[in-house]
Amino acid sequence: MAYATLVYTLKDHIARLTINRPQANNMLNQQLAQELEEACQRINQDDDVYVAIITGAGDKAFCGGSEESMSLSPARAIASIDRPVIAAIDGDALGQGLELALSCDIRFASSRARFGFPQVGMGIIPADGGTQRLPRIVGRAKALEMVLTAGIIDAREALDIGLVSKVTEPEDLAPEVETLARNIAGKAPVALRYAKEAVNQGLDLTLDQGLRLEADLYFLLHTAADRAEGINAFLQKRPPQFGG
Amino acid sequence: MGELGTVIYEKRDGTAYVTLNRPQALNVYNLKMRDELYQVLGAVRDDPEVRVAIFRGAGERAFCAGADLTEFLTAPPPVVARQVRRERDVWGLFLGLSKPLIAAVHGYVLGSGLEIAMCCDIRLASEDALFGLPETGLGIIPAAGGTQTLPRLTGRAGALEMLLTGRRVTAEEARRLRLVNQVFPRRELFPAAERLASRIQGYSAAAVSYAKQAIVAGLDLSLEQGLELEARLGRALVRAG
Repeated sequence: MAYATLVYTLKDHIARLTINRPQANNMLNQQLAQELEEACQRINQDDDVYVAIITGAGDKAFCGGSEESMSLSPARAIASIDRPVIAAIDGDALGQGLELALSCDIRFASSRARFGFPQVGMGIIPADGGTQRLPRIVGRAKALEMVLTAGIIDAREALDIGLVSKVTEPEDLAPEVETLARNIAGKAPVALRYAKEAVNQGLDLTLDQGLRLEADLYFLLHTAADRAEGINAFLQKRPPQFGG
Repeated sequence: MGELGTVIYEKRDGTAYVTLNRPQALNVYNLKMRDELYQVLGAVRDDPEVRVAIFRGAGERAFCAGADLTEFLTAPPPVVARQVRRERDVWGLFLGLSKPLIAAVHGYVLGSGLEIAMCCDIRLASEDALFGLPETGLGIIPAAGGTQTLPRLTGRAGALEMLLTGRRVTAEEARRLRLVNQVFPRRELFPAAERLASRIQGYSAAAVSYAKQAIVAGLDLSLEQGLELEARLGRALVRAG
């Protein structure tokens, strides 16, 4: 399927979603939000995808926010992807653009990336999950500071507070993200999905309930071929060939 | 307690020392160690002389490098394995202990080894410690609580990165991620753990155990319920004192 505001590619089990409105700072509009939702659904339905990368076209913005108010929730669509999702952030991740990044599992940024929630300055609040996901990633104090001041922080500070897990020079971002994605794509795909589910669902449960979820997913994996392959490959000191 | 082979259990001045003891195999966790750890954890829980416990690994190279994968090849069917786990829930017992637990870790701290450390309350590491969860690269996920304990220490993002990539993390990075509390040169690690244990022992056992309970149970509650729990435990201590 061809998109107008998005480029979707799939190679070596790595799906790449590029937000492609560079002339408009990759800002969200109705069409882009809709295409993002479709692409996320497509990823969940394609067994060939082991890991996804989300990035923005050009060197100015990952996604600069939203141009129009809309009923769609692209951050929720990204969060519904059941396999690992990496955000590659080169430039601005502001407002709803930051909310898209927060829905990803791992965030890598270039040194020129900027982050912020300008919403309260406009009389509104982040409403695509930002007030919930940000404190779960950086803690309550930093989240409140960012949301209440509507300030913009740079990549260095984002790294300090745990909003991104790595900062690179701009020219190194794509290769670093590629290396990360290849590393993940070499793992067992079902185990990756279950690990993500155990962490994300588990954080909404009590510790006891979370432990039960983890154990149940673990025993369910006993029935997958990848478990035998992974253990045999390790014992035979050869790379595993995972498939599901 | 029966004869132990894979774990050393010692008691000195109110501190229990639990040493994972398969140094020739990087202290890798196997079924025998599981059964012995279950006994030892029961002793820590039930022995009134034990006020605090320190967990460490024997030998120079590892706290614990993970689980013994050769045993995985002969694992019982999932239905049986789940039943065994329910009947002998080492990790539930570990995470439910109300006494303070300190992990002093060095060398490899991988897979189940890291999960054992995360069942403790305070983690001290030597500079050479190396942390990681390799499970997804083996077609499995951590099952000693790691998917739950790790994000509660590092937050969601740090935990997902470690789990999804299997990446090794150095002691200094582990400290930044809040995975360990403090990092020491190797020769200072164990003395530091003993100082910490003796400091905690200087306080009222009830106060220490209630403080742990308030924090651990409180994280599972709404703030309002957590405040109620704290007040209830606080009043109980005042009445007892």
